[in-house]
Amino acid sequence: MIPSTDKTIRTYEASAASLNPVAALVAAWREIYYSRTAIWHLFKRDFTAGFRQQILGYLWIVITPLIGVASFVFMQKAGILNPGQLSMPYPIYVFIGTSIWGLFISSVTTVAGGLINNSDLVMRTNIPKIGLALTGLAKIAYSLLVNIAVLLVLLWIFRTPPSALAILYPFAVLPIIFFGVGLGLVLSVVGAVARDITNVCTTLIALVMYITPVAYSPDFKNQTVQNIINWNPMTYLVDSPRSLFVTGDLRSGIAFLSATLLSLLVLWVGAYAFYLIKDKVTERL
Amino acid sequence: MSTENWAIRAQGVSKKFGLTLKQSMRHGLGDIAKKITFHSTHSEVLRKGEFWAVSDVNFELHPGEAMAIMGVNGCGKTTLLRMLSGVYAPDAGKIQVKGRLGSLIAAGAGFAPMLSGRENVYVNGSLLGLNNREIDGLMDEIIDFAELGQFIDLPVKNYSSGMYVRLGFAIAALSRPDVLLMDEVLAVGDLNFQKKCYDRILQLKRQGTAIVLVSHSPGAIWSVCDRGLFMNKGHIQVAGPVEDVIRAYDDQNARNSAKSGTQFGDAANSNSETASPAEYGHREGGTGDIVCHSVRVLGEDASIEREEFNFAESWLIEADLEIKTPLEDLLLRYTVDAVHYRYIATLDTYEQGLELTSVSPGRYLFRVKVRQPNLRPGAYTLNLGATTRRLGVHLYYRFAAARFIIKSPADRFLYADPNAVVHLNAHFTLDPLRASESQTTGHQKNSA
Repeated sequence: MIPSTDKTIRTYEASAASLNPVAALVAAWREIYYSRTAIWHLFKRDFTAGFRQQILGYLWIVITPLIGVASFVFMQKAGILNPGQLSMPYPIYVFIGTSIWGLFISSVTTVAGGLINNSDLVMRTNIPKIGLALTGLAKIAYSLLVNIAVLLVLLWIFRTPPSALAILYPFAVLPIIFFGVGLGLVLSVVGAVARDITNVCTTLIALVMYITPVAYSPDFKNQTVQNIINWNPMTYLVDSPRSLFVTGDLRSGIAFLSATLLSLLVLWVGAYAFYLIKDKVTERL
Repeated sequence: MSTENWAIRAQGVSKKFGLTLKQSMRHGLGDIAKKITFHSTHSEVLRKGEFWAVSDVNFELHPGEAMAIMGVNGCGKTTLLRMLSGVYAPDAGKIQVKGRLGSLIAAGAGFAPMLSGRENVYVNGSLLGLNNREIDGLMDEIIDFAELGQFIDLPVKNYSSGMYVRLGFAIAALSRPDVLLMDEVLAVGDLNFQKKCYDRILQLKRQGTAIVLVSHSPGAIWSVCDRGLFMNKGHIQVAGPVEDVIRAYDDQNARNSAKSGTQFGDAANSNSETASPAEYGHREGGTGDIVCHSVRVLGEDASIEREEFNFAESWLIEADLEIKTPLEDLLLRYTVDAVHYRYIATLDTYEQGLELTSVSPGRYLFRVKVRQPNLRPGAYTLNLGATTRRLGVHLYYRFAAARFIIKSPADRFLYADPNAVVHLNAHFTLDPLRASESQTTGHQKNSA
């Protein structure tokens, strides 16, 4: 199924053989490329419409993580939370951690809800389904940019200069976004058939934050806890970009690279599963 | 059947659905499990709780052709249209569509209420496959066509429903698609706008757009389409000239009307309110002096009972009556109801010259032969009543005593108004007022 601007022929066939993993990636890329204008306009539509008739408008993107930071800092000051030995001021540490985790969770939920939220378009237009699943991602890119801006202000307030490698930060958070998109793609098609699956899975995924060093240091004396943290790929996907931004050090380069490869694998599997299943989804939306 | 110059090709296309959400979810999860374990989900066999919404549809449509899809509700029209637009994947068969596809399955799909009309034109245009440059180029034309003027910059949530659909139609109709799929969208806006829509659609057709139009309106179908498909329960029953398709649709509607009989229930109920409930029921009643055991409508030769008659074919009504007391000046009467009107005709013994001055008790066969009735195609119901000249009450009545349909004639196309019930034989001419003027002269083909 290839959208066209010229006299291209689209074919919809029941007995078409299942795509192989490579062909699924190629198909995804071609469909996104061909429907890029529509995806861009849908992104603008959701984004602009979402913020109209709100007093604080775009500020929400900044306010939400700042409230999160305030609550963690409060818990730390009150002695409820002991984040351990840190290489940077705690508010900065927790702001970057929650921002990155927020990117991950919104990648999962945005992509997972992409088809259901756009079911009107799925039923009435021939825009590729992968495009609809991904329209929310531009919003994630926007919130990343805003978060970086706020972070720079925080660094200035706390007199902590960013590292020279901070410029690579947007690339360093890509793996965790890919991870989220991969999971979201699977959930978007499975969740369209059985609605509660998405809720159950997103709740479980949110719980993973407690075994991920988002608001505390990844170094523990307790060996069991340390093992869990060490074997959790999210540890590196959150901690390495954060360290890179402030200290210029990836902390565990090899582990980060492995986690990145895993993310790419999850994205690939997600896209493949999406292409295998998507045709079974529309009539159940 | 294939030539190279096609716009849409459908070969053996079928689609099945689950009857309930639960069954649909169970089969869906089963399919997902099969898909991710690399098993084929392709099956042309129905599973428990499934039915074929569309079954074995074949056609080829060429550029510049317009094809109608007609059928009563639930026949599979919209499912087929959704498969053609790539929304549903077929469960069997193959669909090919060549070139840019515009679908007007619902005018205004994807409109965001908070955004202005102009912003929504970009969203909707891009969904139809236009790029920004093309949309910029069409913007003035779209605003003009939709008659929105300065309102184009108003959020669409403040639009009237007419403005909303006008804008939706304008975007799709002006995007110059190679293939345009439309589902019941020609009835948008006021009369003037509807005329503009028809003009635009016909212009697209002349320019080579292949059009598929789904509608319940024979008028819309006949204006736009050359040929069509009539679908019933997912199958194509008629594929051919648009007139044949409309005839088949009208006949099916008539059959459904006769079958459901709902339109006559109200008539029976309203009549019973004025009668005495002790002797008069909703559908049948009387004093007991006469009872009718059966009413049948037969072919003219009285051989078999029939439910369907050809246009202008003669028929015979036969009633088995039991008269229990001696009756003088007996009047027996049928009245005929159409779908939308009651008592469109009467068949009365006295009016038609049968005087029953004295009838003794016994069983009788009451027969009425109706020769070449001019009833138009549709569903009809017969009501039977019996009284005497000196009595002001019914000795017997039965509403909806028999039902039959008149089928559309093959030799003429009775399209003008589905509500009309009588076809008047007439002779038409159209001649110039002054003989010297060389105007076109119209002559009637048949005057029967």
